Amino acid sequence: MSELKPRKDLLDIESLSLEEIEYVLENAFPFKQLFQRSVKKVPTLRGKTVLNLFYEPSTRTSSSFEVAASRLSADVTNFTISASSVVKGESLLDTIETLQAMRSDYIVVRHQSAGVPGIVAKHTGASVVNAGDGYHAHPTQALLDSMTFREVYPEYQGRKIVIVGDILHSRVARSTSTLFNKLGVEVGVLGPGSLVPAGRHDFMQRFSSWDDVFDWGPDAIYLLRVQMERQEGQFFPSIAEYHRMYGMNSERVARMRQLGAYLMHPGPVNRGVEITDEAMGYEKSLISTQVENGIAVRMAVLHWLKPEIHAD
Amino acid sequence: MKRLFKNGSIAKGDSKEFEKADVLVGEWGTIELVAPEVSADTETEVVDCEGCLLVPGMFDLNVRAREPGFEHKETLVSCAEAALNGGVTGCVLMPDTAPPTDSGTLVKAVQDLVSENSPIPMLVSGCLTKKREGQAMAGFSGMVSRGVPMLTDSGNEVQCPDLLRRCMEYARDFDVLVACHCNTSALTKAGAVNEGPVSYRLGLPGIPTISQEIAIDRDIRVAGFTNARLHLQQVSTRGAVRSVAAAKADGVRLTCEVSPHHLLMSEEYIADYDTKYKLDPPLRCQSDVDAMLRGLIDGTIDAIASDHSPHTEFEKSSDFATAPFGVSGLDTTVLALYDGFIKPGYFGWDLLIQRYSIAPRKIAGVDPVSIKEGEKADFFVFDPNAETAITREYLKTKSPVTPFLGRTLAGAIRQTVVGDFCFAK
Amino acid sequence: MIALSRFLPRNREGRDGTVTNPFPYLGYSYLSDSQDITTDEILSPAGIEEKAGFLADQLESICREDDRVAIIGIYTRGVTLAKRVAAELAKRGIEKEVGTLDISLYRDDFDNRGRDFPKLESSDIPFNIDGTRVILFDEVIFTGRTIRAALDGLMDYGRPAKIELAVLVDRGHREIPIQPDYVGFTVDTEMNQYVKVRFQEDDGKEGVFLVTKPIEQGNE
Repeated sequence: MSELKPRKDLLDIESLSLEEIEYVLENAFPFKQLFQRSVKKVPTLRGKTVLNLFYEPSTRTSSSFEVAASRLSADVTNFTISASSVVKGESLLDTIETLQAMRSDYIVVRHQSAGVPGIVAKHTGASVVNAGDGYHAHPTQALLDSMTFREVYPEYQGRKIVIVGDILHSRVARSTSTLFNKLGVEVGVLGPGSLVPAGRHDFMQRFSSWDDVFDWGPDAIYLLRVQMERQEGQFFPSIAEYHRMYGMNSERVARMRQLGAYLMHPGPVNRGVEITDEAMGYEKSLISTQVENGIAVRMAVLHWLKPEIHAD
Repeated sequence: MKRLFKNGSIAKGDSKEFEKADVLVGEWGTIELVAPEVSADTETEVVDCEGCLLVPGMFDLNVRAREPGFEHKETLVSCAEAALNGGVTGCVLMPDTAPPTDSGTLVKAVQDLVSENSPIPMLVSGCLTKKREGQAMAGFSGMVSRGVPMLTDSGNEVQCPDLLRRCMEYARDFDVLVACHCNTSALTKAGAVNEGPVSYRLGLPGIPTISQEIAIDRDIRVAGFTNARLHLQQVSTRGAVRSVAAAKADGVRLTCEVSPHHLLMSEEYIADYDTKYKLDPPLRCQSDVDAMLRGLIDGTIDAIASDHSPHTEFEKSSDFATAPFGVSGLDTTVLALYDGFIKPGYFGWDLLIQRYSIAPRKIAGVDPVSIKEGEKADFFVFDPNAETAITREYLKTKSPVTPFLGRTLAGAIRQTVVGDFCFAK
Repeated sequence: MIALSRFLPRNREGRDGTVTNPFPYLGYSYLSDSQDITTDEILSPAGIEEKAGFLADQLESICREDDRVAIIGIYTRGVTLAKRVAAELAKRGIEKEVGTLDISLYRDDFDNRGRDFPKLESSDIPFNIDGTRVILFDEVIFTGRTIRAALDGLMDYGRPAKIELAVLVDRGHREIPIQPDYVGFTVDTEMNQYVKVRFQEDDGKEGVFLVTKPIEQGNE
């Protein structure tokens, strides 16, 4: 443990050492144990403040961070900035100045533009957690995904996971595949050619049909959310065609069941698009475990990061 | 007062050899004598140039002085100072001012501002289309009669091929150069960096190389079809260089330019969202960078142009996707190219003079400068043995946003002489 | 190399066989080799066994008159001590399960954790503590802050009818008003000393040691 250096911010997966990943993932389990108690809270971050700075609406992620912070006894402030106030000319640096004055100890940032959490981190002593920036990274999602995978596969090395959907625009795909790769889990991808970056990630095996995927024999199938508004007609012809080609339907559930593979999804799901109602009832679905583990992982992350705040 | 530049060596565009000679500049700014061992009288200021080069003044085809309209970013005064500081003694101003320079009246207004504020010639270019909107042709005749060196929408490429064709046909009869900053906006979209491993790693929307290449191919074909004179601004991909070479071989009346940044840096420099490397076109991959250098040396690329695009530090401190494209370049181009290419021996001063002094002047339709008796003095004194720390104080532009800030570059520009005006450090 | 699965059985042994400080917040450097530090054994392995028996003697009558006694040890060595005493009680015909309480999340020195990263352990209390008489075990009582944190942690698991404290060693220097109810033995110490308890199953050796550091180095 002594090889760990104090870390102020969690911005991406690439910069994490294996020791750090291991530390957070291992600590997440004791936190998860707490959820079994009637008192789910510990006083660890009593008197500390966590600020949820969300430039993109995301009820799930911000609630998950809020619950995690509350269970550590931190005070949580939600600071949601609509796109309109950005248009009005409030610059990022001005916002950071405002945040500085609020003296938060932890700032959780989500922004539509890649790199913004890094800018916030550079300008504040608070610990910054990236809760999703542009197409770049979503590190706590990747950590909760690995935690979930490791829970069902204690011997996870050499196992296989296939990620299905929009790989090109997905920060979840990017961070999660990077983390699985670091942990020694093989990663495959399946998606329309217009949404899979060809040859960009040499560690990822590219599949173009479910048949190939099932032949490969993944231990888990990770469906990504389809951003319907943005993609229909631009990257694939129709939702119906996407569903037919890449969606999880009853026939594919049957093959998944044969393999004994688990089903994962970062949520929220589009029923009837990437997954049918029937598939949602799959007995080896880990979707709600992911939500629960999300809270535990975020508690472990807040517990791990060390703000550089000095009283003046 | 006369000035005698003593013991220096004269660099030339047509020779790799330097001519060891003293240069006497008369009080009206004309070179009176170029000879070994010129002696000075008591009225003459002697500048010791021992170990230094006298280099003809450079000319930059792609400069924004931001005046009128964006004086918080740059002014004609600060822009001229930056140019002199960097050994540049003439330039073409882009029409992307506010309002855009899209009529004879506005060209005249900017020309008047230049003559009031700048000790060096700054040629004012005009827009191809009204307000650079790509919708309707701007008033060519008024602008041409004011002597614009080129018509260009600068950063806004004319997207409609029909309008571009009409512009070129119309421009051909005025024999005015059409310059295009090639970009296919339907492919570029909200892109911020070159599309590829770096855009994927950073999670930023990418700009594919085909965005520039398709536009270049289209513009070359329209120019060939209409027989207009075309200048391509800021080529950045190896495919673009290939297209230019092929078109030139086909006899298209075509020139093109490259920036020092695209010659020296690849997309890897962006590292951790460093907006100092956010350029339009974006920095490309290393094989593109290599192609730029080859094209510059073999002559496919005619000219170097800094694409001087000053922005305030505050504007550039925004997040990468939001920050504006472009950096300042006039102060640093000669030093950066000396440091990056001449000193390590990739090419000599003759090539730099060709590509950054002779060719750009020819493209802009102005007379070349050389250090000869009877010519107007137009040169700078360069010390190849010194080095220059690029600090905020060193930069004369209002925008210290340049990839070279904080670096130390080989060589130093001691002073820049334009006629009887001498910019000394 | 790192331990690749938390599911495999683990103890507090580090990868290189050294034993990791379970309470790194305190800044104790158990494993220092400095020449200036002296270590004296103040209780032998046999002594530990005797003291554990002594504690069991005290608890035996309580257990007999009250069947709601629950035994909980503070991770790490408090648990070991509790198990030793439970084993002694078993010899006397009283079977008691031992619960584990990790108090890392309840400490009051989170801001001063310095460069150390506490590895968290799941608390494991396999019985309902509501209405019980909890005997809390720790190996040493010093300032009392650990016990304070443990009381907070314990309360979050339920509402015991009564909580009592058993320790192997009381070394004095309390900073808060918490006193043990059952004490193996008491030792007078200075602030530049600390008492380290070693158990075979945790540390690979057995004994209670008094470690003395040069005064100018303080307690660090």
